[in-house]
Amino acid sequence: MTQATLLHGAKRGALDALGIPLIVLLGGMTGYGALAHDSGIGLGLATLATVLVWGLPGQIAMLELENAGADLLAITIAVGMANMRFFPMSVALLPTFGRHAGGIIGRMFQSQIMSASSWAFIMRPTAPVEARARVGYHVAFAAICLTLAVIGTTAGYYGAASLPRPLALALLFVNACFLLLLLVDIRQRGALVAIVTGIAVGLPANLYLPDFGLIVTGVIGGTVGFLAWTPAKTGPSA
Amino acid sequence: MSGLEPHGPELAVLAAVLASFGWRALGVVFANRIDPDGPVFRWFTCCSYAILAGLLTRLLVLPIGELSEVGLSIRLGAAALGVAVFFASGRNLLIGVLVATGAFAAAVAWL
Repeated sequence: MTQATLLHGAKRGALDALGIPLIVLLGGMTGYGALAHDSGIGLGLATLATVLVWGLPGQIAMLELENAGADLLAITIAVGMANMRFFPMSVALLPTFGRHAGGIIGRMFQSQIMSASSWAFIMRPTAPVEARARVGYHVAFAAICLTLAVIGTTAGYYGAASLPRPLALALLFVNACFLLLLLVDIRQRGALVAIVTGIAVGLPANLYLPDFGLIVTGVIGGTVGFLAWTPAKTGPSA
Repeated sequence: MSGLEPHGPELAVLAAVLASFGWRALGVVFANRIDPDGPVFRWFTCCSYAILAGLLTRLLVLPIGELSEVGLSIRLGAAALGVAVFFASGRNLLIGVLVATGAFAAAVAWL
């Protein structure tokens, strides 16, 4: 466990982030920036939300509800439900860093910079396995993603008026499409079962329990996937 | 227009930040007590994947805002095309995303 391990992980994280996440993040956050502009929210606030909320579905829910005049409780619940995935994702990610994530502040930092993309990428079999390299990978990956997200938010905000409607809508769609392809690329049996179950349960749960559908989906899908988990493949190799 | 004037947007962002941060902080607290080789860790990993899948159904099938104005067949058709191209191209994420998003934009423009 050397500094070289950390730097090697960081290099791999940076290279991965500068691939497809670059396009998806720039696209998705440009769509968000345009939406923020049309909602009448300031660029500073829109960018602050990008960095601190750091979850596009929650950010869009916030804008839509704020724009519709919803009260704070409704916004808090909607964003909280859209972003509650960060709870199990943090639990599943942080132990793979061992003691190299640092103390409570370091772990909070890792959790705060984590996104669906950084989580999904570091859980892939191609990501570093050694804990220190994983820390470097995650920090570099997330730092580049955050930078791209801020650039995308700003570009979308200033370019909102000139965006043709099909392109503006496509920029909102690109994030869902990326998430879909990341999920269909999963090969670990338990995770795959969790995903399939999540889709099957997610439809009626989100339809009939819009506030708590994701929690129900996560618990049912996660439990079914857990029961189907292949013991030989555990942890980061999911 | 916001129903929270004059500080509606600021309070909305604050609420969104706290709502997200709370889950992350809770995750950090739990993570400190979990063995990465144990069953609880595996269960949380599976729950994460299931929630992402649930979120995906919400984004594709039950979106809010402007995406909901686009027909379900366009959203699902473009997504299915992206998956097909993804596998046909040897699991190339870039090609899959570009084809799906391009097909989506074209369908919105012409249909």
